[in-house]
Amino acid sequence: MFRYYLNLGFRSLRRNPVLTILMVITLSVGVAASMSTYTVLHMMSGDPIPHKSDRLFVPQLDTGGMVGYTAGEEPDDQLSYPDTQRLLASGQGIRRTAIYGINDAITPERADMAPLLANGGATTADFFAMFEVPFRYGNPWHADDDARKADVIVLSRATSEKLFGDVDPTGKDLTMGETSYRIVGVLGDWQPLPRYYRIINGNGGAFAGSDEFFIPFSTAVRHEKRNSGNNNCNGDGPEPGYAGWIASDCTWIQFWFEGASVGEQASIKAWLDDYASEQHRLGWLKRPVNTRLRNTMQWLEHLEVVGRDSRIQVWLAFGFLLVCLVNTVGLLLAKFSARAGEVGVRRALGATRSAIFQQYLIEASVIGLVGAALGLALSFAGLWLIGQQSGAMAAVAKMDWAMLLATLLLSLCASVLAGFLPTWRACQVRPALQLKAQ
Amino acid sequence: MLVMNNLSKIYRTQMIETHALRGFDISVRAGEFVAVTGPSGSGKTTFLNIAGLLEEFSGGEYLLDGVNVHGMNDDQRSRLRNEKIGFIFQGFNLIPDLNVFDNVDVPLRYRGFAAAERRQRIEQALGQVGLASRQQHYPAELSGGQQQRVAIARALAGSPRILLADEPTGNLDSQMARSVLELLEEINSSGTTIVMVTHDPELAARAQRNVHIVDGQVTDVLHEPVLRGGEQIGASIQPNL
Repeated sequence: MFRYYLNLGFRSLRRNPVLTILMVITLSVGVAASMSTYTVLHMMSGDPIPHKSDRLFVPQLDTGGMVGYTAGEEPDDQLSYPDTQRLLASGQGIRRTAIYGINDAITPERADMAPLLANGGATTADFFAMFEVPFRYGNPWHADDDARKADVIVLSRATSEKLFGDVDPTGKDLTMGETSYRIVGVLGDWQPLPRYYRIINGNGGAFAGSDEFFIPFSTAVRHEKRNSGNNNCNGDGPEPGYAGWIASDCTWIQFWFEGASVGEQASIKAWLDDYASEQHRLGWLKRPVNTRLRNTMQWLEHLEVVGRDSRIQVWLAFGFLLVCLVNTVGLLLAKFSARAGEVGVRRALGATRSAIFQQYLIEASVIGLVGAALGLALSFAGLWLIGQQSGAMAAVAKMDWAMLLATLLLSLCASVLAGFLPTWRACQVRPALQLKAQ
Repeated sequence: MLVMNNLSKIYRTQMIETHALRGFDISVRAGEFVAVTGPSGSGKTTFLNIAGLLEEFSGGEYLLDGVNVHGMNDDQRSRLRNEKIGFIFQGFNLIPDLNVFDNVDVPLRYRGFAAAERRQRIEQALGQVGLASRQQHYPAELSGGQQQRVAIARALAGSPRILLADEPTGNLDSQMARSVLELLEEINSSGTTIVMVTHDPELAARAQRNVHIVDGQVTDVLHEPVLRGGEQIGASIQPNL
């Protein structure tokens, strides 16, 4: 009977076409509004590395001075260079990495190309394995290169293609600033959303921009590269010069631990507390122990990667969908009421109440199906409009398969939900009254 | 075939209690063609609705083809209605956006017949009413008489034990009415029981027996029982006088 009811549902679209069109439009506009905003939220709040996000931890230490100190306040989001060095050497977790942003001018080997100002990151060899960065050519540098402060570089795919075209440039030399670096690898397509591994950056924020190259952390320090992002210092600030800066308690480095298991979050946190306690005793950390160790999703939440405005927009859009649903209920009531006579006839010919219920609910679903198709098209249009606002919005205003399926399901569920009351009313028709009235 | 004993039907509102049927007794034997007459508001349609299991009754007993329908739930009543009863209405009551074939198909769908059997039954029923060539037509493309013939085909397709007709010629001109009545007589002659509610004395006179209802009670039986195939039919009518 399902096919029969489905067939009747499609035929019914042609009956009262104005009502049908109104219902489809109402439903699709509501679905499009809610799904386009929800898609943006979904893309913003998605887990960028779902299979290990709960094993990647960001440590925070309270490096502030005692002036203006309030107990328990949120520690700084970045670490100082001395703390970074000690945490890298701590042996905690199975991998540790630190990263800070740098930029410099690249001199292309082609004479006809102007120098490029490139944004990148200074990090350690563990970075690539920890964040499972794909490589198109070559490999990451080795831990030895970190230790030797070697002049090696990994390029992003876009940077490599810009400089060398679609060929493997590994082994070649690249001049950046005053230094010649040997290219050891070229990344594959890698643009995690959000850019969780380095949310605090000076080139695009969480959803736009990308790192165009990576060099070893130790090499960057050897070449006295300043960071291109946020730098917080206490009191009178660092001593003059690069050496004074890196020896200070200024915070400018993002740090990650990778644990072997989820449970390691507790043990690393305990170690971090011990470390902070020791450094407080030694006088390096001025404030009493106040640490945090957040996993990836906790970290993104802490940094409010998804703003409150985005969530409110989604709530408003779903409220609008509710209004559309109420309208659809009214339109369906009108459509089904006009067919009370048909219900009476079908009941007289042997249809049970449940058969009528199924028929009309499937009919409402067919409207939902058509509404879903239009709603999907309108959602794409809505996302395109959202994407026009900024580069960051363009990065997240994209529908993935899950959202596409969710849009179809939402439309279908919405129509079934809207169809319940009208369908129930249709089932209550007293056939005797309708047959006489026909 | 259809037996009602001391049947009553009361419509209640907050203020008024209306006895549509009271002490209603009737017995229709298999193969009979019974005309039910009576003034407006006498209870004819209420009787027909109860007979067709479209309404429940307040008291008494109703046996349809030997089955006591009292206490049946909606599903059971719908199934029994689908299997045993064919309806013919004054207003034809065809579904406007289904063609002739699909209109006749409706009760067969609810019966759960396979596609091949449904097709065979539909073609046979439409052939019987002389509309085999109009299968793809929509009701609006047919005359009133043709629409009523489609309704009759729809009622017949499921091979019901009894046809309940409510003013079947009420919306037709005299020529079409005659043709429809002849069709009903033909159907009856092949063994299907027919109970027809009508205002028209001429039509009633064509039935084998007339039952007159006044104020919700059977008051008169106008025809003598007739014999068909050696069996006396209609002998069990017990009018409440």
